[in-house]
This record gives sequence, structure tokens and C-alpha cells, in this order.
Amino acid sequence: MSDIDRRRFLQATTAFGAFGAVASLGLNKTALAQGLRAGDLPDILRKAIPSTGEEIPAVGLGSWITFNVGNDMALRDQCADVISAFFAAGGRMIDSSPMYGSAQEVIGYCLDKLGAHDQVFSTDKVWTSGDGMAQLDQTLARWNTQKFDLLQVHNLVGITDNLQLLYRLKDKGLVRYVGVTTSHGRRTEDLIAVMKNERLDFVQVTYNPIDRKVEEYLLPLAYDRGIAVIVNRPFRGGSLVQRLEGEPLPEFAAELKVESWAQLILKYLIAHPSVTCPIPATTNPGHAAENMRAATGVLPDEKMREQIAAVIGVLV
Amino acid sequence: MSEWWSYGLADLLLFSPRVYYRLFETINTVWWLVVASAFIAGLIAFGLAMRHGHRGNRVILVLLSLIWGWVSYGFLWQYYMPINWAVPYFLPGFVAETALLMMFALRPLPLRFGWRGDLSSYFGVGLVACAFLIYPFAGLIEGRDLIQAELFGSAPDPTALGTLGFVLIARGTWRWLLLPVPLIWCVLSSVTLWVMDQQIALVPLIAVWLTVFCGWLDLKNGVTTRRITEAELAD
Repeated sequence: MSDIDRRRFLQATTAFGAFGAVASLGLNKTALAQGLRAGDLPDILRKAIPSTGEEIPAVGLGSWITFNVGNDMALRDQCADVISAFFAAGGRMIDSSPMYGSAQEVIGYCLDKLGAHDQVFSTDKVWTSGDGMAQLDQTLARWNTQKFDLLQVHNLVGITDNLQLLYRLKDKGLVRYVGVTTSHGRRTEDLIAVMKNERLDFVQVTYNPIDRKVEEYLLPLAYDRGIAVIVNRPFRGGSLVQRLEGEPLPEFAAELKVESWAQLILKYLIAHPSVTCPIPATTNPGHAAENMRAATGVLPDEKMREQIAAVIGVLV
Repeated sequence: MSEWWSYGLADLLLFSPRVYYRLFETINTVWWLVVASAFIAGLIAFGLAMRHGHRGNRVILVLLSLIWGWVSYGFLWQYYMPINWAVPYFLPGFVAETALLMMFALRPLPLRFGWRGDLSSYFGVGLVACAFLIYPFAGLIEGRDLIQAELFGSAPDPTALGTLGFVLIARGTWRWLLLPVPLIWCVLSSVTLWVMDQQIALVPLIAVWLTVFCGWLDLKNGVTTRRITEAELAD
């Protein structure tokens, strides 16, 4: 970790925790490079994308499994309800991939139905070692859109060619940000190499109170190089909150005013200074709104984050 | 995709059990007449297979071929492909099985179905019975509605299971050509169900083991290799 200013990172971590304690009081909200600020909607915390300073709501919406409902119109309409609740609660970022079956097409259907193409921070991926442009054309058609806010190389597939393709699209103004994703903690070393050598705007990694490997090196590196971090699998594909279901929330959670384990986990993630936006997936509009409420109020400081990880580590 | 090694089984699960079983609800509702016809066609094929004498052999193969064709189009193409991008990779296998069954029906000496009283016959009938009576309604135990039943003739899993049973109660050279597609499907299906945490995942896997075991027994006993004579066919 010789090329990372660890001391600066740790200072930010401490400051961020302190910020969490004051966030709900509406005090200073601009101290950190990736700091939070109240958005247009009341109480929604936002984080800055380091490469531009643009701020986005601190919780997004994933679509893996949950939005792959095929041509089932009843389920498509349920997905539209989820997105509607997500937007109503202040959310913006929706993430998908060509790997997720019909999810892209379903998102396009929902945005059409809701007339909400201008509300979304659209995030998708290129996932092929073949013709990346052909796949992106298909992705654009499925979303029924002309351009994306963020395009990422999915799981580093065809990384060299696809990254160059995304850079060219960015130069042409067809995408605003470029990133690379991985999940389940795999290929972390490869991702770190790409982060060191490329001018990325975003990375997407798996991170939650159980899977914390990225805390060691990747998150500090992202902070140091000014790369925004999207967190996938915040609930381990739902299994984490299922395991915690029925367990009472720890007493210290009352300070954070959380309603559920899901919110506690999201606050744990949002409070990390390197994390820009976790993207939990859900089929339940109520849960989409509940997840967004994690981006409100007080965030845990570093000590409390460790407590959260310890408690959850014991329970699962 | 050259980086398949970097994926785990859980990564390749694309849909939830809720969405998967809704597919059967939809096909059973929208195509109920075809679904019922295919199921009855399967029952007729089984009745012919168990009947004394062998005059219905071609009919059995034609019915099974039509059933595999319907599963390919009706379920895989129409409903499964939108949620599973892997379907185009195994759809040709289903089409090949459809063609093979029809080809066997058109041969001068088709496969000869019938009860032989050996272990393969018992397991063959057991697999067909499982495909018709147990597999479709196993979901009731797990709390799913009857309308989501996976029926032989329209749903791929019981159709593959039943076809393995039909092959086990058949005789004739080259019958092993009919085994790879349902065997591979059973393995794939078992993996899919296992990743979805469905206990029924064990059933297709057991069917694979039984079929391979019985196939080996038949090979040893010469059931597979001995040619059917015109006289036997005329029985």
C-alpha cells in the first residue's frame, strides 16, 4: 500500500464518522472530498463522484435476479412499483447488466411506464469478449435510451478492448462515466491493477459487514485515486437479512434510528468514506423506500461500524 | 466468454424461484388445452408401451417427438428464454431429441417398448410414474399452488425424467442416442434447482444415476445390443 496515503485516508475515516454524528443536525456538510450533503429531497444524503464532484443519492437500486421477470406483465408492473417507490424516496441510480436476463428490458419498460427516463442515473455494463459495441447497442435499445450515465466492464470481461471502447464513448459524450466491476470478492487483484493503471470514474465491488476484504486495500486505493465505489451484494443476495430476520436490533442501533437490519447494513456501508452508493435489489416497493431511508439521519462512526460488523458476524 | 472460471454457480442463477414457477403458472393458464393434450398424449404413449404386443411402437415415438417439440417451443422458446440467456445454447439439444424420436419412429425397425420384468423395466416404469404423478405435484408440499404444477409434456424436467423411463423400457440398437439430451438436461436442471435451494433438485440427479446404472446393466445383458427381428416386431 506504498502508493496510498493511508494517513489521509484514516483522517478522512475519522472525520467521516464525526460527520455522521452531525449530519442529522444539518451542520457542516462539505468537509470531505466524498462528503455527504442534503439533496433536493428532504433528508436524503448524497455523495460526490470524485472525478466530477457531481452528487448522487447515497443508495441506489440493483436489478440482479429481482428484475429478471421475462414477459410476465404482472411482475413487470411490480418492478415498476419498486422503481416508483425508489424514485419517490429520492433514489436515482439503477444498475443492470446484459448478464441479468430480461432485467434491462424490464427497466426500460418501467421507465417508459413511469415516464421517468430523466430521473434515473442509468448504470449498465458491457459483458462480452466479442463485439462490445453490438452489445451496447442492444443494451441502449432495451433501456429505450440514447446514452448512459455510467457504463462498466462487467467482471473485467474483455477488459482491454471494452475499456478502450468505453473511453471512446465517453469522449463522444455517449456515456458520462466509465467503470469496472467485480463481485463476490473475486479477481480483486486484477481489479486493483486496473484501478492503478486506468483513469476510472467508478468501480463496483462486493462489500458488506461479512465480506470486508475490500476494506484492506481496495477501498483506500479508490479513495486515494478518486474513484467512486458502488457496492453490490450489500445483503449477500438477500441471505444476510434473511439470516438476521427475527433477531432484535442491537441497542446502539437506536442512536441511528434504523428500522431494520437492512438499514443498519446500508448505514454501515454508506458511512465508509470511500463508498459512494450501495445498490440493494428488491422486489418489494416498501423495501425500496426503506432502503432509501438508510440515506437519512445519523451515520455510524468508525467505532460503531466495527460494532455493527461484530454483532452481525456473531449472528450469522 | 473466456473468463467462465471466475464465476461461481450462484453467479449464474439469473432468476428467483418466484419467477421460475410463475412460468409454469403462465403456460398452464394460457396454453391449458395444449398442456392437457400433451399430458394425455404422454399417458397414451405410456399405455401403449405397457400394452401386450408392440404394434404401437411408432405411435409412442411420434407422440414423444411431438411432446419434445412442444416443450422446445412452448416452454423453452416462449417462456424460459426471456429469463435465461443460456436457453439458446441448449435449445438445439431439445430440437435434436425431437428429430431423433421422429427418426426412430420412421425407421424400418423402430424401438420396441415393453415390460421385460428386469430391473431396468422396474426403474423405467418408476421414472415414468414419477414424471406423471410425483414431480408435477411436489410443489404442493413446498406451498406452491396447483396451477404452478410442472406437467409431463410441457415442462422440461418431468418430460426429461419420463423420457429416460421410456428409454429404459425400450429395446433396440441405437436407443442410447436418445439418452444424452435428457440426461444432460437433468444434470443442468438439478444444478439450477439446487442453486435455487429447492429440495427437489435431488430427483433429476437420482434419475440420471438410475438411468446410467440401468443402461450399464442392459449393456451387460445384451438388451441394448441385440437387434429386434421382424418376427418380434410383428408380435
